[in-house]
Amino acid sequence: MLTKINVGPIHPSTHGVLRLVVTLDGDTIVNVEPHIGFLHRGVEKLVENRMYMQSESYMEKVDYAAPMAYSDLYVSAVEEAMGVHIKERAKYVRLILLELQRIASHLLWLGTFCNDLGQMFTMFMWTMKDRDLVMNLLQDATGSRMFYVNMRVGGVSMDLPPDFEEHAKSLLDYLEKRIKDYEAFLEKNPVFIERTKGVGVLSRKDAINLGVTGPVLRASGVNFDVRSAYTYYAYEKLNFMPQIQVKGDVFARYKVRILEMKESIRLIRDALKEMPEGDALGMPIKLISPPIKEKEVIVRRELPRGEGMMYMVTDKQKPYRLSIRAPAFINLSALNHMAQGAKYADLFAILGSLDLVMADVDR
Amino acid sequence: MDENERVQNARKEMEQLVADSLKSYKPPVGAFFTNLKEATKAIADGSIRWARKNSLWPMQFGLACCAMELMDFGSSRIDAERKGYLLFRGTPRQCDVMIVAGWVTKSVVPEIKRLYEQMSKPRYVIAYGECAVSGGPWWESYNIIQGIDQVLPVDVYVAGCPPKPENLFEALMKLQEKVGGKVEDKQE
Repeated sequence: MLTKINVGPIHPSTHGVLRLVVTLDGDTIVNVEPHIGFLHRGVEKLVENRMYMQSESYMEKVDYAAPMAYSDLYVSAVEEAMGVHIKERAKYVRLILLELQRIASHLLWLGTFCNDLGQMFTMFMWTMKDRDLVMNLLQDATGSRMFYVNMRVGGVSMDLPPDFEEHAKSLLDYLEKRIKDYEAFLEKNPVFIERTKGVGVLSRKDAINLGVTGPVLRASGVNFDVRSAYTYYAYEKLNFMPQIQVKGDVFARYKVRILEMKESIRLIRDALKEMPEGDALGMPIKLISPPIKEKEVIVRRELPRGEGMMYMVTDKQKPYRLSIRAPAFINLSALNHMAQGAKYADLFAILGSLDLVMADVDR
Repeated sequence: MDENERVQNARKEMEQLVADSLKSYKPPVGAFFTNLKEATKAIADGSIRWARKNSLWPMQFGLACCAMELMDFGSSRIDAERKGYLLFRGTPRQCDVMIVAGWVTKSVVPEIKRLYEQMSKPRYVIAYGECAVSGGPWWESYNIIQGIDQVLPVDVYVAGCPPKPENLFEALMKLQEKVGGKVEDKQE
């Protein structure tokens, strides 16, 4: 006999405000039906009534776990429409800040994911402490703690402070040590291994068919990362390598994110070394208006959660239409496929491994 | 009848005993009460409030961006536990404070109302962040209500987008003042 269980919408184990209707056969999941839309506020519509650079702040709130990645995506779309080239130093400054943001986002994910696996609250405390240190560094570089709004067309709003390199290097050394500690702590933990290995397997073929991106795709053995496939900024110069695992289970997704953090640390170190001198400041906000009426632009960037894409039809002062391809929304659609046949207790491990931000799903 | 009398006698004896012991008891400097009358009075209006003030349990309930700072509030840098705001509870029945952190959409209002009704009285609401205070940047959106105070009675408003975790700390201290009066430290 089948039973139906309602999870959420406001439940400590869900990520944000998500409602799941789970159909169970005994303890085995037959079907998971996500109900979304509890955080919908129509950001794409609101942006149509804002000047170009006013919207940047709205874009940051689409994905609040990695705000800077989204503001970069939006500003890149405006740059593409205006045909502006980014200054050479600004490319490096953006890369450094974005990779720091990726580390902060992945650290947050690691803490909450371990919390989902059953009150491993120690990890949450540790990663939140480290995330705070990264956020402090970003605050030094941009002047704000959570919503930075520091991307400008052609560059950034302020150059890195003079003592940034010194602080960043010491923080990266510390983080490298900490990430090694986390790996040792988790991969020798029998509970963690038992709850992640072989759970929620997504095969290579299914991953491609379902359209998932980011760490979820790379954990299934697909070598696709926008940073290398459609390279931008200085990723190619710094020899960026996508991090891949082949098994496609929850553990592989965890491992991909750990390896990505290590790769980010490597990238920031190299970028600090090779960063050219010069000017990194962007255009004054008053000058920003795409010259051609009704131009269509598509930009893709690798966000911490997957591939973000922005489609924009420009007008003189405001965007005529803006559409966002949110990675979390498409990753969520793979949940039913992964959870079918798993036990009910594993549902939250699988849900956690997708790294959802519900505001990104609902927009 | 006999039993009732016996119980009443025992109760009287007990009360006498407590009164006697309180008479002979010399309180240390700064103690809360000195005799039974004062004690009952204190229990009636003082110590319950005092106890209530020092055990405000917030609900684990995040809506949007401000929930990130709420997580920070509960984690290691700002250790909320040292001031008596204990660990976040997963069920509304164990909570006194609801921290509304994030924008409130029309579809989530019934859920918030339901959670609020499940909380035991007395219950308090903190509107944390611009969106919960007034709708914030989304105030003209078609799916957002302009502030949680249209639905629930709010005790403390915290402005900011998002407010820092320190601001939540201050808000909870303000709420403590509201619940139990100003902290009177007799030692000073």
